[in-house]
Amino acid sequence: MYRLNLKIALRNLWRNKGFTLINLGGLAIGLASCMILLLYVAYEYGYDKQFTDYDKTYVLYNNQKTASETFSFMAFPGRLKDEIRDKVPGVAKVSRLSYAEQMLISYNHNNFKKNAVFSDPDFIKMFDYKVLNGNKNTMLNSVDGVVLTETLAKNLFGNEDPLNKTVKLDEKENLRVEGVIEDSPKNSTIQLDYIMSWKLYDKLNPWTKDSGWGNNYCMMFLQLQDNSFFDRANNVLKGTIKSHDKEANGEPFMHPLSKWHLYDKFENGKNVGGKIDQLRIFFLLAFCILLIACVNFMNLSTAKSEKRAREVGVRKAIGSSRSNLLGQFMFESILLTALSMLLAFVLIEVSLPYFNNLLGITLEVNYSDYKFWTVFLGLTLLTAFIAGSYPAFYLSSFDPVKVLKGFKISGGSTLSIRKFLVIFQFVFAACLIVCTAVIYQQLNYIKNKPIGYNRANLVQISTEGEFSKKEKREILKDELLKSGAITAATEYSLSLTSGGNNTYGVNWPGKNEKDKILVNFRFTNLDLTKTTGMEILQGRDFSKDFVDTASVIVNEALVKVMGMKDPVGKMITWDQPLRIIGVLKDYVMESPYQKAAPLLIAQNTNRASTIIMRLNDKSNITSSINKINEEIKKLNPSYPTEIRFVDDNFERKFRDEKLLGTLSNWFGGFAIFISCLGLLGLALFMAEQRKKEISIRKVLGASTANILTLLNKDFIKLVAIANLIAFPLAYIIINKWLSGYEYRISISVLPFIVAISLSVIIAILTVSVQSVKVAKANPVDALKYE
Amino acid sequence: MIQLNNIEKYYANKGVKNYVLRLVTTTIKQGEFVSIMGPSGAGKSTLLNIIGMLEEPTYGTYEFLGENVTSLNERKRIELYRNHIGFVFQAYHLIDEMTVYENIEAPLLYKKIGSSERASRIADLLDRFNIVAKKDLFPNQLSGGQQQLVGIARALAAQPSIILADEPTGNLQSAQAEEIMELFKKLNQEDGITIIQVTHSEKNAQYGNRILHIADGVVKEDINVA
Ligand SMILES: Nc1ncnc2c1ncn2[C@@H]1O[C@H](COP(=O)(O)OP(=O)(O)OP(=O)(O)O)[C@@H](O)[C@H]1O
Ligand SMILES: [Mg+2]
Repeated sequence: MYRLNLKIALRNLWRNKGFTLINLGGLAIGLASCMILLLYVAYEYGYDKQFTDYDKTYVLYNNQKTASETFSFMAFPGRLKDEIRDKVPGVAKVSRLSYAEQMLISYNHNNFKKNAVFSDPDFIKMFDYKVLNGNKNTMLNSVDGVVLTETLAKNLFGNEDPLNKTVKLDEKENLRVEGVIEDSPKNSTIQLDYIMSWKLYDKLNPWTKDSGWGNNYCMMFLQLQDNSFFDRANNVLKGTIKSHDKEANGEPFMHPLSKWHLYDKFENGKNVGGKIDQLRIFFLLAFCILLIACVNFMNLSTAKSEKRAREVGVRKAIGSSRSNLLGQFMFESILLTALSMLLAFVLIEVSLPYFNNLLGITLEVNYSDYKFWTVFLGLTLLTAFIAGSYPAFYLSSFDPVKVLKGFKISGGSTLSIRKFLVIFQFVFAACLIVCTAVIYQQLNYIKNKPIGYNRANLVQISTEGEFSKKEKREILKDELLKSGAITAATEYSLSLTSGGNNTYGVNWPGKNEKDKILVNFRFTNLDLTKTTGMEILQGRDFSKDFVDTASVIVNEALVKVMGMKDPVGKMITWDQPLRIIGVLKDYVMESPYQKAAPLLIAQNTNRASTIIMRLNDKSNITSSINKINEEIKKLNPSYPTEIRFVDDNFERKFRDEKLLGTLSNWFGGFAIFISCLGLLGLALFMAEQRKKEISIRKVLGASTANILTLLNKDFIKLVAIANLIAFPLAYIIINKWLSGYEYRISISVLPFIVAISLSVIIAILTVSVQSVKVAKANPVDALKYE
Repeated sequence: MIQLNNIEKYYANKGVKNYVLRLVTTTIKQGEFVSIMGPSGAGKSTLLNIIGMLEEPTYGTYEFLGENVTSLNERKRIELYRNHIGFVFQAYHLIDEMTVYENIEAPLLYKKIGSSERASRIADLLDRFNIVAKKDLFPNQLSGGQQQLVGIARALAAQPSIILADEPTGNLQSAQAEEIMELFKKLNQEDGITIIQVTHSEKNAQYGNRILHIADGVVKEDINVA
């Protein structure tokens, strides 16, 4: 029986090549899209879950209450570690971790600037990286210990055994290699290349010794003995900082490591999701696309029902039971799905490198993983079942006598089901078009929104090695200005595009003592506005004609917070009295999505961490960059300095949105394409069914155009209805998405117009391919057979 | 073998009952070859369908092999199809996707007959109907008469005790029709298979041994043919 079924199913597929191709193509694209999206979701979902006891491991956040809101961030006083160790119940391990920083590590003449972190010994036990060399138990105990990752060890030592060799940090500290661990997994939030002991951190930063409980400068991780301690531990944690310093305003709390990556947004001290929201969208999208492909299959299978009805009738009359027939149809569906799956694999393997490149991640199909095969088989069966069940039940329900008596299967009801299915598909497609268009608009809006300075042709380098000396920086600037490679340069205490460095310690006349207001601070040198293109709205920039040691520039946001009228000339205090000499137009610091935060800028070249330079737009960029590189090599030979374009840094801030945009573009496109295949199938079917009617009409004198209108009218109606249903739906969805942005476009009619015209045009094109053929056919051919 | 008592069939249309069959009572014994005749719309096909359990009567009782089958569940009915009843249709109704061989094989598969038994039976039938050379062809590659031969072969494959045929030669030329009728006669006489056919042709009816004349849903005449 099964052999025969297989044979017949294959023959059926072969006979109806057109249908088969449409079905196969639709399902394959649907499955491939679904699998790629699922791979992506699994990749994101697997973040930080590589470690043995990840479910007992927590990252600490610090809740800081201010008058208006609560900030949650990952920064703590270093001395909190011992406090946790001693006081918090159920703690198995606890470790500090410094923020990863690119630092120079060298062995002989091999220099590398790689991600360096400092941590306590517990870190390497909590995050149980595989130790390839060395003794895990003694690592990071001594001041001069360093643990390298595999790749870095290879780069530094080649084939030599690195253990106990001496490497140099920043040309100063001699460190002993205590061991080699595997590289950080790609989907691990902590990306490090080497780890040094916290003792070294304290040695390099002597101020930590007397640093108080209000001074937050490191991350904190802890692992519980078991999760039943969670509530008790969290309760005790909350008071740890305040018990030592009533003034300090921090309340630590635990956030599961497994949620660190996806649930990273906090509002008023509570987690409010984060990346997970986007991931859910993708997850949903994956199944919607698959559903569309399934709907296609149902549509096309039932469209063929007239042809198959007779077969069902005959089979029943010669002794087939309904379950025999159900089995047969399900089998056909499974067969087609399996074939599509094979095709989908080809599509996945071909397109994955492209997507990886596009999204900057490494997705791959892990063929040796049983989980992959489970999902794979599950998905195939699910698809086969969803796609096949309706046609199977529908077709097998035919009453043999009706069929054999030659009654036409009443086109009415099944046609309306098929119409419903097409509407369903196009609702989804139209929704996607609207959403994609709005996402595109929003992204463009944010990208093109003035950021307060001119980021084109602006480059930055860090002040490392020789450049930590003021004089060397001056030489560099002078040389480059002279050579014409740059037109201006200044210094800044942070990268232009990064956040951080803020204080509650700024006071001004009329400030409520109890209000804790966070003010960002930066230090700069001369020529800040000239170099960056920032705008002074009132007053002036720092100038060599003045002594500006006790002067500050404030931004609009700070003026607003202070509620000051005519701020120029007024005094504020921050450890010392400072005179406001200028008001700076707000510029985007860290996030282009958020409103500008209060900022003050003072002049102090000793605090410079970044040199900002404006390239000469009259000369060739490459040659300017070469010139800069040359000069850097000369002045700072042992440091491989990287020149970073501010534009690139800025671009990185759009990564998530770009990813969303790209994925929704691609998969939206696929969904629309699959829907079109469905429409094409329906058109094929309708044309077939109405052959006779059309022929009669033609004999009666209808023109080709008349007939085309007749055929297209129905489809346009369907698509129009689909759009009408889709619009409110899309509006709700996209409005919700937009509400996550402080700066957002208002939804215009444009995306909706795009959606309806695009879908109608696509529908007409699709349908016309088929109907032109019918409309032009010779009526005799169709009438002869009746 | 077949006992029909007061069989009635009507279609209700806007509250009006349109009778197709009225109080049909008759007995058909094992081994008979019955032809049902009558004008178009008289209810012949309906009667045959009721006998074949493709339709249910609105009134009356129907016994098949001594068992009341007036309304039968699907499982039982399929059981009868598999073991006792073979259908032959005017439009042949072969399955287009299957070859001649596979068409004949299909009922045997449903009946779960072993493969060697299957092969020998099919070989037998192909041989008997002289269509061995056609066994790998598809229905659309055969003439009408050949298709009907395959249809009959398929009906016989499961070795039914009765064959129901609705105008089996309606689409055929007289030469081919004669061939089919001869075949029916032979099956009836040599194999003892009960045959009930609907026909418009007086000549075809003469191959059988009994004729039921139906008009307006009523059996008007019941004649034994010499
Ligand atoms: N589903 C139905 N609904 C209403 N009337 C029906 C239905 N099926 C059959 N009829 C009516 O029943 C009557 C008998 O039909 P039947 O097919 O049995 O006639 P017949 O004797 O086989 O005619 P023919 O020689 O033309 O095949 C016809 O008048 C037909 O209109
Ligand atoms: Mg009839």
